[in-house]
Amino acid sequence: MASLSQIPRTMLCALPRRVSPAALPIRALSTSSKRSDATSSFDSPFRGMGNDKASNIPDFSNYRSKQGTKSNLVFQYFMVGTMGALTAAGAKATVNDFLVNMSASADVLAMAKVEVDLSTIPEGKNVIIKWRGKPVFVRHRTADEIKQAENVKVETLRDPEKDEDRVKKPEWLVMVGVCTHLGCVPIGEAGDYGGWFCPCHGSHYDISGRIRRGPAPLNLEIPTYEFPEDEMLVIG
Amino acid sequence: MPAASRPIYNTLFRKNFVFLGVVFASAFAFEMTYDNAMDKLWDRFNKGRQWKDIRAKYVKTEEDEE
Repeated sequence: MASLSQIPRTMLCALPRRVSPAALPIRALSTSSKRSDATSSFDSPFRGMGNDKASNIPDFSNYRSKQGTKSNLVFQYFMVGTMGALTAAGAKATVNDFLVNMSASADVLAMAKVEVDLSTIPEGKNVIIKWRGKPVFVRHRTADEIKQAENVKVETLRDPEKDEDRVKKPEWLVMVGVCTHLGCVPIGEAGDYGGWFCPCHGSHYDISGRIRRGPAPLNLEIPTYEFPEDEMLVIG
Repeated sequence: MPAASRPIYNTLFRKNFVFLGVVFASAFAFEMTYDNAMDKLWDRFNKGRQWKDIRAKYVKTEEDEE
């Protein structure tokens, strides 16, 4: 009678639980001759079948790694990681290309900025510049006009904005010359407040470009601009 | 080299997030080196034809006139 410890595991699993070990139907195994010299815990399932060629387990020791399991693991993970890194780089490049494709190209960016030489604009004069298809008013304001713009009571305005918030240098007023009502181009040095007057529906803007009378709801818009040099204005 | 493989395994591959971080970091490094190498290759193929190669001729003369 074979003891339980010598029954192959595959057979054990197949047995129903209720069967007591004494009544195990292990005829095939119990009749087979057991090898007494089994040293490992693993027993061949084909033992006792004689020297049948089909039941011989070949010798795999020639194919086993001689470097231990860790170096094989390292190699496998290295290959997996390299593949992942290449894929990640490729995916990033693809996404990057799409995003670059959507952003503005160099010629568009070059057209998006306008340089103005301020030394050619005398005091008290308007200059209209085309910028991104829109007119931009540049006014070289006199000291009187600056004072006049700063002395306006801000609280009484429809769109309250201080003059110092609308200019970077007080003598240079830069704004988009599109009426905030329906998009006409106001006329310079006209209107009741010494600034701009929109002929379409009669909006009056003051010398800081703020709406004072008429249907327009907002002050004239200020574009982004800067003074990289003293006598140089860059709009955009 | 079985002796070196164990510390490599323990430091890089044993924890998955370390492994993932190493993968992304190496992807970053690979991309930079690859881009640099390809730019160099491109510049070598097109030597003398790009603006940065011939810029010296034109810009210098402009500065001389000024």
